[in-house]
Amino acid sequence: MSGILRTVVTVGLLACGFTMAWLAHAGVQRSSNEDNGLEKWHFIEGDIEIELVQRLPDQTRAMFMKHDFSREVVEAMATSCMFQTIIRNSGKSGSGQPVSIDLTQWRMRYKGKQRGILLKEPLIESWSDEEASPAAKLVVRWGMFPTQQEYLSGDYNWGLTAYGIPPGSMFDLDVSWAEGDKLRTGEIKGIVCAPDVDRLK
Amino acid sequence: MKIFHGTLVALLLILAGSTQAAGTLTPISGDVQAPDFSLQDTNGKTHRLSDYRGKPVIINFWTTWCPPCREELPSMNRAWHQLKQEGIAMLAINMGEDEDTIFIFSADYPTDFPILMDQAGEVIEQWPVKGLPTTYVVAPDGTIAYRAIGSREWDDKTLLDMVRALK
Repeated sequence: MSGILRTVVTVGLLACGFTMAWLAHAGVQRSSNEDNGLEKWHFIEGDIEIELVQRLPDQTRAMFMKHDFSREVVEAMATSCMFQTIIRNSGKSGSGQPVSIDLTQWRMRYKGKQRGILLKEPLIESWSDEEASPAAKLVVRWGMFPTQQEYLSGDYNWGLTAYGIPPGSMFDLDVSWAEGDKLRTGEIKGIVCAPDVDRLK
Repeated sequence: MKIFHGTLVALLLILAGSTQAAGTLTPISGDVQAPDFSLQDTNGKTHRLSDYRGKPVIINFWTTWCPPCREELPSMNRAWHQLKQEGIAMLAINMGEDEDTIFIFSADYPTDFPILMDQAGEVIEQWPVKGLPTTYVVAPDGTIAYRAIGSREWDDKTLLDMVRALK
């Protein structure tokens, strides 16, 4: 009897283990919000989860217009293909390794060309005080995703990432991160920037 | 039998890892001293971190426009009602916004613990914050004991017991 019980428990635990291993290595899931139609790309690999949620240019216009930015900066940011971005160390593998990211190493591919994504430091640096007040620059400083960050198990962060291509464009994104001292890479294909208002008509 | 035990141990370790990811506090190693500050709350009262020496202090950096910040405020308020009689302080430092913005926001997200205003973003720059929300737990001796990046369910007993254990 104890032999049967041991077999049942072992099979159950192995099934549980395989399920968790599958969950920890699930690739990219693309989904759409039923309420607002915005699309999301959810990348899962090892302990890292990266979520990119479309952000309408009008959402960005509204956010920037509330603060002291020039009209030109508001429009440039609104049409720069922004995504609400969440990066998390899920700890699903059980390794307990920290996950760290460096957005300067991420590469986007658009119309056959490859380049880095927009980073907040050079953006803030490029604006004069007339284009963005110190208070407005603080909004970008804390609203856009940190360029480098380390996450321990259970940590996650939220912020905006921008890709500098027109609304409605499609691109691929090569992401990289470190788990402990091991560098890892992945690819999110066919990401689509949210369309602007006139394209929704 | 050895294989059975090995499988059991390995899977329990995996399960422990996923449970940990559900939301606890990350211990900060070494004696990292919490940077002192002096900030006014929304009622005009000045708070210095050094005035709280001798008790654990939960310090949360947030803004009204940050969705996960909003998400964790109700559980922080529930936690505060458990902790306020236990000699544990909780301070939420709003980054970059004025009193009127916070006042309007608080109609939807009422909080009973002090909301401090770091309008120029000078205090947050002194702390090792990279994104919002980030929360630190400062030990009675003024060192940073724990950190949480991202929101947490602050009235979770396991989490609160970690803070209580600092007393």
